[in-house]
Amino acid sequence: MRSLNYAQRVSLDFTGTLFPHAICLGDADNDSLNELVVGDTSGKLLVYKNDDCKPWITRTCVGMLTCVAIGDVCNKGKNLVVAVGAEGWFHLFDLTAATANKADSSSQHEFLSSDDQKPFFTQHIPANTKVILISDIGKCLALWSRMCILCIVLWSLTAVCVCVCVCVAAEPAGRCELVVGYTDRVVRAFRWEEPSDGSDLGSAQLVLLKKWLLEGQVDSLSVNPGPEGLPELMVSQPGCGYAILLCSWTQQDSSGSGEDAPATPGSEGPSRDVVLHLTTGRIHNKNVSTHLIGSISKGSKEESSKCGLFALCTLDGTLKLMDSSEQLLWSVQVDHQLFALQKLDVTGDGREEVVACAWDGQTYIIDHNRTVVRFQFDENVNAFCAGQYTCKEGKNTPCLVYVSFNNKIHIYWKVQLERMESTNMLRVLEEKPEFKNHLKALGVDAEDTAAVRALVANILYKDSQT
Amino acid sequence: MLRELYPFVEDSFSRFPSQSNIYGLCQAGQQELLAATLKGKVVCFRYQELQQKIRPVAKEIQFTYIPVDAEIVSIDAFNKSSPNRGLVVGITFIKDSGDKATPFLNIYCDYEPGSEFNLESIAQSCLNLELQFTPFQLYHTEVQCDDGGSETVFLLSGHDQRIHLYKENASLHQFEEQPVERLFPELQQLPSNVLWLDMLTVAGGRRISAFGCQSGCVGLALVNQTGPEVLQSWRVQFDSPISTVLLFPLSCQTEPNQSSRETGTEMKSYNLLVTSTIEMAVVYRDVQESGLSRSVCLSESDQWDAVLCALVIDLDFDGQKEVLLGTYGQELLCYKFHPAGGGQFQLQWRRSFKSPLLSVIYLDLTGDGLKELAVLTLKGLHILQHSLTSTADLVLERLAQRVSALTAGSELESAKAPDAEGKDAPAKKEERAAHTTSH
Repeated sequence: MRSLNYAQRVSLDFTGTLFPHAICLGDADNDSLNELVVGDTSGKLLVYKNDDCKPWITRTCVGMLTCVAIGDVCNKGKNLVVAVGAEGWFHLFDLTAATANKADSSSQHEFLSSDDQKPFFTQHIPANTKVILISDIGKCLALWSRMCILCIVLWSLTAVCVCVCVCVAAEPAGRCELVVGYTDRVVRAFRWEEPSDGSDLGSAQLVLLKKWLLEGQVDSLSVNPGPEGLPELMVSQPGCGYAILLCSWTQQDSSGSGEDAPATPGSEGPSRDVVLHLTTGRIHNKNVSTHLIGSISKGSKEESSKCGLFALCTLDGTLKLMDSSEQLLWSVQVDHQLFALQKLDVTGDGREEVVACAWDGQTYIIDHNRTVVRFQFDENVNAFCAGQYTCKEGKNTPCLVYVSFNNKIHIYWKVQLERMESTNMLRVLEEKPEFKNHLKALGVDAEDTAAVRALVANILYKDSQT
Repeated sequence: MLRELYPFVEDSFSRFPSQSNIYGLCQAGQQELLAATLKGKVVCFRYQELQQKIRPVAKEIQFTYIPVDAEIVSIDAFNKSSPNRGLVVGITFIKDSGDKATPFLNIYCDYEPGSEFNLESIAQSCLNLELQFTPFQLYHTEVQCDDGGSETVFLLSGHDQRIHLYKENASLHQFEEQPVERLFPELQQLPSNVLWLDMLTVAGGRRISAFGCQSGCVGLALVNQTGPEVLQSWRVQFDSPISTVLLFPLSCQTEPNQSSRETGTEMKSYNLLVTSTIEMAVVYRDVQESGLSRSVCLSESDQWDAVLCALVIDLDFDGQKEVLLGTYGQELLCYKFHPAGGGQFQLQWRRSFKSPLLSVIYLDLTGDGLKELAVLTLKGLHILQHSLTSTADLVLERLAQRVSALTAGSELESAKAPDAEGKDAPAKKEERAAHTTSH
């Protein structure tokens, strides 16, 4: 197995602790360059920019932040920062301009101009949030929440607390839904609703659309193109399983269904709309925590198949890549406890690799052909994410972000590889037709490796006159 | 800006179970590396071809007669000089069984025909020599024998202020210690313990040898190999222990505007690089003529702690060699030679690693004619490969040049056949010769 040792990194100051999903990369201030957003357990929201080790912006939220995300939540063509606290406080920040909208945190749905530091929108949704995801597929916002107290105690021990939110663009009008998972195995979908005249911003709010009840804890939420190419809402299920949640709210009247308390159980038979899939293989523990990531880009040339690719990983070290027709592309077994799963185009060829990280820092980068590159981060990992970030050189580059237990966030900003597999010069040259022509002209047999090798060496090292 | 020039891409990293040291890496054979770690383990690194794919493999080799409580100090390997054939591996270690530490030198070499280059079988045939001194660097060099042939010998420096010579006794098929003075008169009466030694054979049956000592003394000698006799020797004193000395040729065009095809304008001089633990690295220019009088400092080379390893190679394929320095401060520094103004070395790029750099070797591990840089750090072995995409473009470009030169030459030949023939034929022959020799 090829293993690498990335060295170029920057270390950011970060005191405090965070939940594993309270970290994300994205363009928070709409300058087309990505920032790092981190929320800690004391309610501080930190935004890091470039290689500056101090936060660029700090905001204070209500309660413990369990998940943060960046995305066009309100469908206004502009990215906002979303921070959700464990107690259910949902905060929206507009960081585009420093003097942007403000809100008084005491009143839930009002935009007041008093203080820069305040979010421009807050709302109380059911408590115990854990993860939010703003999907780029359908301008969706996913919110993942979980039972806060229980989770604080348990998340690092058993990783059982799972709540997931996904937003699915079920409507072409581009209105986004927000899906939230809870630790009581419930997933709820919300939508950002504004009054039709658009004048009274104060009445805009998140409205509950649907609720699903699952059999097992939900660790991840994702959107993945189904066999017909339509986006499907997927949640992970313990034991390397996953479930597809059917989004039926388009047929029903969703207006006025906003709720502050959970919907009455059994009112709409939630289990009917859940299609559970269990994957085969050596699963020793059917309750093992499982993560999932969908919509893994296949690159341009393989667009013939509409099926979306998704990956699964478990805490006992199983990694799988599947497509939405349930076909297994590969499965890898490792002896590290995988707790985070991301996708990242490391080679720059348009195909996204699967990146899985273990608690002890072992990181696996695996491409669609099951070529593995390993990287060992030298410390235990508190939280991990991978994505594009502008660290140096003023442009987005693929980065690996590790939050350590030593008050530092380490960003490896030069992780791009020319290729996943080791190769040599001759193989690269053989792909070029002019190379064979040159060899023929020089009278060197292309099959004679020793002669070609000697020619290359001679060209590079003895040909001192240019 | 410095980073943009960095030409390498890391291809693999092998983590070692325990740390190594500055004497812990050597080339064994054409495409293999041996790395020794402190806790008695020797790792063989190579690229293996399997199912049309090349993959890096780091495998532990079980060298026999290295006890479990041994701590390896140094390792070296060489191919025997022709007409003898076979790989010889030397490993020095200290066996510390509690009451008394005993140093040893193990020499591994297989005489069985067919397995002279098989590392697994070499590792099983061992000559075990107990030493009376703490070993440092294990070095090998070729010497001229009385019968006109040449032979490769081990030179081992020790804490007894001496350098010990180990030479093969052909009749007994084993290595034995011989007095160093007879073959290396320049290596007697040393001022201090030698930490690093380097030798270079130059034209006229001569050799330049250099050594750097713990006391900061650097010795340089020009020796006539037949005799042998010391023609000239120089000494210089530094303020701190010398980490490496390295002799290297540097070609320098005296008249850059003249046609480069005329080799007469190109001046080849021998230079000595000296790195010390606290001072700046220094290059002594043209040592064969001017001894240690023309020194050039490598500025900023003292900024990242002690320089532990050095290498002089042509990294950018322009025919001019660059100086690479690896430091304890986890930096790899590259200095480019600028001939203008009497010659200067300027820092071209530097690159950070995650642990101190101990040793660097440049060799063709992947078997494609392009060499890779192997960097031994405290934690393991990094293999850095030239960016293949850009290097492939360069190869194609130069091939095209060569082809067009060839076709131009043949057109010329057909035009005025008798004249051109003499000019074109030797060039072709030279090319062929290059193929066979480097193979």
